[in-house]
Amino acid sequence: MNKKLLSIFFFQLTVALALAQENVKGIVKDDSGVPIPGATVNVKGTTKFAVTDIDGQFVLASAKEFPFSLQVNLVGYKSQEIEIYELIDEPLEVVLKNDNLLDEIVVVGYGTQERKDLIGSIVKVNPAEVKSIPTGSFDAQLQGKVSGVQISSNTSVPGETVNVRIRGATSINADNDPLYVIDGVFINSNSLQTLSTGGKSTSPIADINPSDIESIEVLKDAEATALYGSRGANGVVIITTKRGNFEQKPTINFNASYGWAKAQKLWDLATGPEHAQLVNEWWINSGIDDPKLNRTFANRPFRPVSEGGRGLPEEQQTYDRLSEVFRTAVLQNYDISLTGGTTNTKYYIGAGYNKQESILRPIDFSRASFKVNLDQKVTDKLQIGVSNVLTRSDRNQGRAGDGPQGGILQAALHTPTYLSPYNESGVLVGRAGFDNVTLLMQNYDIGSVSLRYIGNIYGEAELIPGLTFRSSFGVDYNNYDESEYWNTFTLLGAQGGLATSSVSQFTSLLNEQTLSYKKEIGKHSFGALVGNTLQSDVLTRTYAEGRGFASNDLKTISAAATTASTQSWTKSNLASFFAKINYGFNSRYLIDVSLRADGSSRFGADNKWGYFPSVGAAWRVKQENFLKDVNVISDLKLRTSFGVIGNQNGIGNFAAQELWSGSASYQNNPGLSPQQLSNADLKWETTRQFNVGVDVGLLADRISFEFNVYNKYTTNGLLLVALPAKTGFSSYWKNGAEISNKGFEFAITSQNISKRDFSWTTSFNISRNVNNIEKLENPLKYGSRDLILQQEGHPLYSFWVYKEHGVDPQTGNVIYDEVVKDGKITTEDRQIYGSIWPDFFGGITNNLNYKGFDLSVFFAFQYGNQIYNHNRFFGEGGGARDAARVIFKHNINRWQKPGDITDVPRPDDVNRNNYKDGGSRWLEDGSFLRLRSLTLGYTVPSNVAQRLNLSSLRFYVAGSNLLLFTNYTGLDPESASSSSQNEQGIDLGTPPQPRSIQFGINLSL
Amino acid sequence: MRNSNFNIYVTFSLVALTVLSSCDEFLDVKPKDALATSETVILDKSSAESALRGLYNALGDAGYYGTSFQSIGYLSGDNIQWTGSQSQVQEFINRKVNADNATISSAWNAIYRTINRANNILAAVLEIKDATLSESLRSQILGEAYFIRGLAYFDLARTWGGVPIVTSPTKAAGDNANVAKTSVSDTYAQALKDLDAAEPLLPETIDRYRATKKTVWALKARYYLYQNNYVKADEYATKIIADVRYKLLKPFNAFFASNARGTDESIFELFYNGTTEVNAHRNQWQPQSNGGTRQWAPNDALVKLLNDPTIGGTRSTLVAKDNQNRWYGNLYYRTPASDPSYIIRIAELYLIRAEARAQQDQLNDALNDLNAVRDRAGLLAITASSKEEILLTIENERRVEFALEPHRWFDLVRTGRADEVLNVTEPFRLVFPIPADQVLTDGDLVPQNDGY
Repeated sequence: MNKKLLSIFFFQLTVALALAQENVKGIVKDDSGVPIPGATVNVKGTTKFAVTDIDGQFVLASAKEFPFSLQVNLVGYKSQEIEIYELIDEPLEVVLKNDNLLDEIVVVGYGTQERKDLIGSIVKVNPAEVKSIPTGSFDAQLQGKVSGVQISSNTSVPGETVNVRIRGATSINADNDPLYVIDGVFINSNSLQTLSTGGKSTSPIADINPSDIESIEVLKDAEATALYGSRGANGVVIITTKRGNFEQKPTINFNASYGWAKAQKLWDLATGPEHAQLVNEWWINSGIDDPKLNRTFANRPFRPVSEGGRGLPEEQQTYDRLSEVFRTAVLQNYDISLTGGTTNTKYYIGAGYNKQESILRPIDFSRASFKVNLDQKVTDKLQIGVSNVLTRSDRNQGRAGDGPQGGILQAALHTPTYLSPYNESGVLVGRAGFDNVTLLMQNYDIGSVSLRYIGNIYGEAELIPGLTFRSSFGVDYNNYDESEYWNTFTLLGAQGGLATSSVSQFTSLLNEQTLSYKKEIGKHSFGALVGNTLQSDVLTRTYAEGRGFASNDLKTISAAATTASTQSWTKSNLASFFAKINYGFNSRYLIDVSLRADGSSRFGADNKWGYFPSVGAAWRVKQENFLKDVNVISDLKLRTSFGVIGNQNGIGNFAAQELWSGSASYQNNPGLSPQQLSNADLKWETTRQFNVGVDVGLLADRISFEFNVYNKYTTNGLLLVALPAKTGFSSYWKNGAEISNKGFEFAITSQNISKRDFSWTTSFNISRNVNNIEKLENPLKYGSRDLILQQEGHPLYSFWVYKEHGVDPQTGNVIYDEVVKDGKITTEDRQIYGSIWPDFFGGITNNLNYKGFDLSVFFAFQYGNQIYNHNRFFGEGGGARDAARVIFKHNINRWQKPGDITDVPRPDDVNRNNYKDGGSRWLEDGSFLRLRSLTLGYTVPSNVAQRLNLSSLRFYVAGSNLLLFTNYTGLDPESASSSSQNEQGIDLGTPPQPRSIQFGINLSL
Repeated sequence: MRNSNFNIYVTFSLVALTVLSSCDEFLDVKPKDALATSETVILDKSSAESALRGLYNALGDAGYYGTSFQSIGYLSGDNIQWTGSQSQVQEFINRKVNADNATISSAWNAIYRTINRANNILAAVLEIKDATLSESLRSQILGEAYFIRGLAYFDLARTWGGVPIVTSPTKAAGDNANVAKTSVSDTYAQALKDLDAAEPLLPETIDRYRATKKTVWALKARYYLYQNNYVKADEYATKIIADVRYKLLKPFNAFFASNARGTDESIFELFYNGTTEVNAHRNQWQPQSNGGTRQWAPNDALVKLLNDPTIGGTRSTLVAKDNQNRWYGNLYYRTPASDPSYIIRIAELYLIRAEARAQQDQLNDALNDLNAVRDRAGLLAITASSKEEILLTIENERRVEFALEPHRWFDLVRTGRADEVLNVTEPFRLVFPIPADQVLTDGDLVPQNDGY
């Protein structure tokens, strides 16, 4: 039985009851009066049940005590629960409504709507389905679940940022992240991290405990996001947390899980002798290429020690460092909640603790959260409520990305295997410019504590019937405290130790008023909404560092010989006014118009205000007479919308102003310097979006699908434009770029089998987004070795490489594509070749229920995107990096003599010919199909549970990333070394997402 | 009930009213850690002095004398090897620098940033009406700005050849955007013009961290040597050497070891305090065990020369060995990173005059200057006989005297010996390519320097 449906769709009916001394008799019909066979009717809390016959009739033994509840269930219909106070003569008539989700309540901007009345493109996600995927933040769990939303995990470090892109990316230098709204509070989703973890940053979204979330709505098109105006260009994610119900008896829910995670595979490295052999070969080859270098066989690096060399290749040892940093990580999660309500009060109290180790030592993430939601009816017309969540996220961090010093995988992976961890005097030393792994693991000491409060208090009053006034005040406060201590055993602390401390405080205050009106007159329904929002964000930061400690046991900055400190303060304000009118005729034709005006403190004096209108319309074709009798079609709705939305996030708070810095000091005295040119014309980046969609339900909604086509076009794109450096400035903020995103989304859900004891549902979604830079004056380069180029006529995040056509079997040299045919390979021959964008992405979920068992199998996929395997670039340097980098096993397949057919060229000097920075052979296909989660659960029969005084009890085992199908030769096609939006798709020094398995229990009483 | 409705109406109206009336104020937010202004910031004595310090700060930026620009000078010579991961470093060592090289880009940007700061001072300080700003101080500030701009154009000319000459401050996005590229001689001429302007404005005092008339003379000596104007090079070098407050210190490392700074050796060095003014240079030189990256290191040939008691002498203190027995450069070593950046030392003036005099066939005088430098390094005097032999000895002396300072490449280029010594067979490589991103952004820089 589908218990989830039961608990979600909880309805009560007042019915006339029939009397039959010991039995309850009744008939189950659908809303058009047709009897329904096959529905299950059971007495709640017992094993007594009956199934309706061909005429929809049932007879069931009554419970012993009144009142008792009857539950009526049938897949495809809304479950019902009926309270029986006494038995009467007449047969009980139960009307089951089609569970076509049309009446599902969907949260929209500043209100809720029934799904049937939706015009915009909104996806509602049930977070319970993905809760067991071990990531720190709920956004990472949504991968593959929502059509049109592309999510890349970047890293396996729990609680770090993931890339969430709703219908592509619209901006180069402003943010592309969606707006997150939690219980009406626009929360901060930009990391407050200041310390370096190799390009990655922590996710503020990870401060939210997924267990507290009731539903997640993803708003995609202009109609849906219009009321969020300036904030909605990248879509809006509305998170509604759990609340109680009036007249609900107190229920305690407890969930616990424990599990383990481990990397599926690790890199395959050349042994010491293989490494040495390749270095010798490079040495001799480069001597042949350039005799002036005087590199010969006689003076090759790996020659006998007696000849002054490092010993022959075969004499070299092989040292394993990877096993020192990877571990089987432990995952644990516990949460408990109490929900309930009286006539006038409803409440939710939740507490949770989650701790996840990364498979990469010594990183871990833990979160403790406490939540209280309370709603109180003051009078019939006035309700006041609060939402509060207090979270503490505690992290042990590590540099899992780019950067030599303190880099975990640099020390463990990028250090040549032939190099001993000990020097001649038997002391542990770092090699190749990296830390010694053992010392690093013993002495790593960086971490952060994020203390977060998100709260909202509201009052809602019905002024006259239909007219509601609501006022709310919200706060997002985050105290983010980071510290590092690098003692003298680490490279960063080698000179007497280094300690840093940074305390950031982010405060966002939000005040909102809305006045809404609803009225139905005959076949006409009207709605109107006006409102305003004031938001003020302040970020302050205090940083201190100390160097030179008398002992490694002294760790606070006050104990340091020299100290330095800085302080910063920045603020932005936003004032908004909005209005929306909607009209519906006969539930067939729906139209709405909205307008939002936003004033931002970030823009030039004359351009602070942006105006964002939208219009949407829907036609519920199924309601028309000509479709009424077409039974195969249970629902058909056409939707369209057009609107303009703004964006200003991600640019500097003072981006439009001329700034002079006072910190350019000399000889210990302050110095003034020009810091930024003003641009009084700086204004809103705007995205117009057109959406057409169709919602179809077939066979009593056993099959339902949704198809959307959209076209987004961004103008006045906010850009940090390059200025000729001769002006003394390298860039300034300007409205420049134009970017388009076009695509479609398709999602289908099919109830393949819906029997009492066995049901099987399949959901599948697939999306395509085509991104293109329509206008950009000068190309912009990003990423290590300029691997990414933003250029007009190409998608954002295109790779800029020397295109290679394999290895010439005669010469062993790479055959490069010459763009400028001048006989030499120069920067001018670099070209755009692929991008991070997949052609298609999506997911497929199968949910099966058999008696008490439930099984969920969820695959996510992505097809056609590229990833630059930067680890391989370093690891397949052909020996030229000698003792400075590891060599990967694959490099052994190098060309050696004419006639060799191989994809690894002849070793020569770096950047001379065959090993150019930015060669395309390290650019790989990042397509994948991943078994993202597999969960098998068993719910014990309710009579057994009751014997244990529980109302329900479920055990489960959940696996994640159990299977990965990909051609990518790295470990994880989603790995990226940087959290920066313009540096996606470069895999360096990043741990892969592990396989994990967890055992869990859910119980409620 | 009625009453509470009324109250809500009132509240709402009040809120709305307040919001509307105060919106402009609400949306006007100013920073606290920078001055937001469209007016000129340099308007009195104090701000003029601050702006001047900002100018020195730019000169000492990591892109300029902080690291990048300096590294172009010594990496391109024959003393340094690449030991890190960034192959753009090796481009200098191989002397095949690509236009997309990150170091030349950061140096170009940093030099023009310096020029813009100088231009702001030159434009504003003349206009300041502040009784506390004495005329002599006004002149001094202007003089220092002219000097630094002169140095900047000199560095641009010897690195890239002809470049755009910008002499007015950039106040808005369009300013100076269309300044055309000039010839190499025009660029050198601008450098001289600025030095000539600075000279009369500056006091004839000694300040080893700031420009004075003496600093101008020292740079002029170098300038004229680059121009093969040996008479003038001799003349200006003599002006400095004659001042006894500039001395060749013994032992060699007295000017940098043991946290020394501002010694009598120094004519012009940049000051860093290690916390708010950081000299990032040590990070590239020092080995990992000393908290650096050892991105580059002295090569075997240089190590051999420095450790040869007849060639390196006490200059062997420029290199040291780490815990893995690898050699590293030890001129920049302090923790926190407060090493000075050395721009002109008295040893250079001796060697400039030695070369200038040798070129003027005053061989004995040339040998005297050369031997003064050798003597300081603990070496015996040499007695070369021919002009060519002396010139070659000076060249070799400069190689070890300035082993880790940015001279070797520029020396071999100016004497036309880069081909012979460094095997730079393609003459176009004697100047570096204009940074590729600049050519892309700035139409005035098209065409790129020949050959690139």
